[in-house]
Amino acid sequence: MSETELAMSTGHEVLMEASPYGIEKKKLGMWFFIVSDACTFATFLFGYGYMRVGSQNWGTPFEFGTILNGILMTFVLLSSSLTMLAAVRATQSGQKASANKWLGLTMLLGTVFAILHLREWFKMFGEGWGLFSNPTGGTTQFGACFFSVTGLHLAHVISGVIALLIIMRGYNRGRYDSSHVETAGLYWHFVDLVWMFVFPMMYLMNAR
Amino acid sequence: MSSNQEPGMGSYVGIVIGLMIIVVIEVILTYQHLPVRTLLFSLLCLASLEAFLGIMYLMHVKYESPLLFWTIFPATLFVLVLLNYVWPDAYRMARMGLGK
Repeated sequence: MSETELAMSTGHEVLMEASPYGIEKKKLGMWFFIVSDACTFATFLFGYGYMRVGSQNWGTPFEFGTILNGILMTFVLLSSSLTMLAAVRATQSGQKASANKWLGLTMLLGTVFAILHLREWFKMFGEGWGLFSNPTGGTTQFGACFFSVTGLHLAHVISGVIALLIIMRGYNRGRYDSSHVETAGLYWHFVDLVWMFVFPMMYLMNAR
Repeated sequence: MSSNQEPGMGSYVGIVIGLMIIVVIEVILTYQHLPVRTLLFSLLCLASLEAFLGIMYLMHVKYESPLLFWTIFPATLFVLVLLNYVWPDAYRMARMGLGK
């Protein structure tokens, strides 16, 4: 084994073989988490498809206003991916102030997404929608599927905002470095990409 | 530990704008009143394209070792293919009028 293939940990004098993937273990761990989480979301979406195909009276209740809100939410989330990339770049070049600005903006956009989402939810609750109720008289499975899938995604966005806040604090205190921000960024982009399936399947396929 | 061949922020802005354009195309398709199966197929293709662009460029898989790609994606695809076992039963429910 060549010397370049070996990495020596400082302090413990332990020789370790370099990762065959060429990435740090926390990043590889995040990739494995993302794969398992992608399978979770896929299971939810397949479950939704199963119920929809098997239902007699599914219905397409969403007016254009709801779709417009969905488009706005999508653009907000896509923009947050861009600010996350800028934050990773800033941490890699050691620009702490810039990193804080971009991370703060990413969290703000994540929060805006969550607010828009909850606003939509509460509007639907006001109209009589719920996990077990459908005011249009169609199948009650619609509400169960819609709130489960979008709720799972919303939980991921809120968790992401909290995770970014923790990473930002750690980065400012010198506990975390750019690789931690990059790993958190992977999660954030994943949450963004999941929405690229949730929006067409849950909103556009149910547009009037 | 990413490679140094990563693109600049300008390229990322281009990719994100591209993703936004795909979302607009999806919305336009939705209001063309296509048959449900055609719309579903079109939306899934466009969403997969968005996911591919996002994974390769925003999540930097294009700039990582190919081993990462070949470790993760065939396994994920395998799970997604296996999940299709639900459809015969869904169509059975529809035919029998069970899903009220």
